[in-house]
Amino acid sequence: MRRTARLLTGTALAVVAAGFVAAPAYGDDGGGSLEVYPSSVVPGAEVSVNTAACGNEGTAAGDASAVGAGAFTLAPSAHEGEAIGQFRVPESAQQGTYEIVAECAEGGRQVSGDLVVTLSAPRGQVQPRGSVKTGVGGVMGPDPVQTAAGVAALAVAAAGGTWLLHRRARGDGI
Amino acid sequence: MRRLGNTAIAAVTVAAFCSGAWLLSGGAGTHAPPQPTAAEARSGHGGARSAPALPPSPPDRIRIPSIRVNAPLTGLGLTRSGSLDVPPAARKNLAGWYEAGTTPGETGTAIVAGHVDNSDGPAVFYDLGALRKGASVEVDRRDGTVAVFTVDAIAVYKATDFPDEKVYGAADRPELRIITCGGGYSRSTGYQGNVVVFAHLTGSRSR
Repeated sequence: MRRTARLLTGTALAVVAAGFVAAPAYGDDGGGSLEVYPSSVVPGAEVSVNTAACGNEGTAAGDASAVGAGAFTLAPSAHEGEAIGQFRVPESAQQGTYEIVAECAEGGRQVSGDLVVTLSAPRGQVQPRGSVKTGVGGVMGPDPVQTAAGVAALAVAAAGGTWLLHRRARGDGI
Repeated sequence: MRRLGNTAIAAVTVAAFCSGAWLLSGGAGTHAPPQPTAAEARSGHGGARSAPALPPSPPDRIRIPSIRVNAPLTGLGLTRSGSLDVPPAARKNLAGWYEAGTTPGETGTAIVAGHVDNSDGPAVFYDLGALRKGASVEVDRRDGTVAVFTVDAIAVYKATDFPDEKVYGAADRPELRIITCGGGYSRSTGYQGNVVVFAHLTGSRSR
């Protein structure tokens, strides 16, 4: 009973969580733009871009010549049918914000996203510190279902006891 | 006949009283999450060979088949004190990754964290302490690849003496850390530390 309930809530939460992560985490508004990851890099770094704008199985021609990386191809991927491509920022790239463009092979729709080039490493520099608060001890305290069952059992015992005492008082003989 | 009825009711009453008392006194016991043994904490050198690093791509999902974990990943930042933030506790099957750090599969140390429990009971990484060296961890990435890691060690660290550099420090190959709460529990201060899984990239495939 409890296991089923837990399984059901677990599944429901997983579905909700999956939706939550899939949709807005890196989301844009309706697949109209080009997502650039990482959005901030140092010269020499590899960058991946993806877009949902070209539809399922759609390919696109990418253009990173603004930052000196030239043309590249976006191929359809397993990830929700998004087209994905990669390029490497040349070591000679200068600091600044560059527009990366992709044009869908079908329909010729154009999408773009920004890439920031910095000269000092922007990511991974700040390491987390210390332990992580990933539990509250919910499995340690009394189990609420068990407590409820205990209370119910005691209620039954009380009812039975009262009834027997009544009998005895009436001289029904136990 | 009546006597038989009375006996039955008396028996039920006694049984109900006993089981009620047992249940309320915590009968079935609490379910402390499993903790790794000292042997699991020693990293096995000469284990599975490292695979070549993958280009950076944010992760979507983590799977650890041997402890039946299959959970979406959300991005995590840092708290004001500089510790790694955690996913919302109410979503018990949601894990998180440190978004400003290394993505799982690229060179460096990628960090994943999730709850061992919440107020309702066990959560996504409840069984993390039961993981064994050599187990596989798979991370689905947005570029359509699956990064496959092999577990090197599972250790428990006290919060008061947490080895930041060992857990979060840079690596020259693609590595992964998976963190949850553990290391003893006290009613006043909660869990006293963290269970940390150390793994490195040993393969990749497309989804």
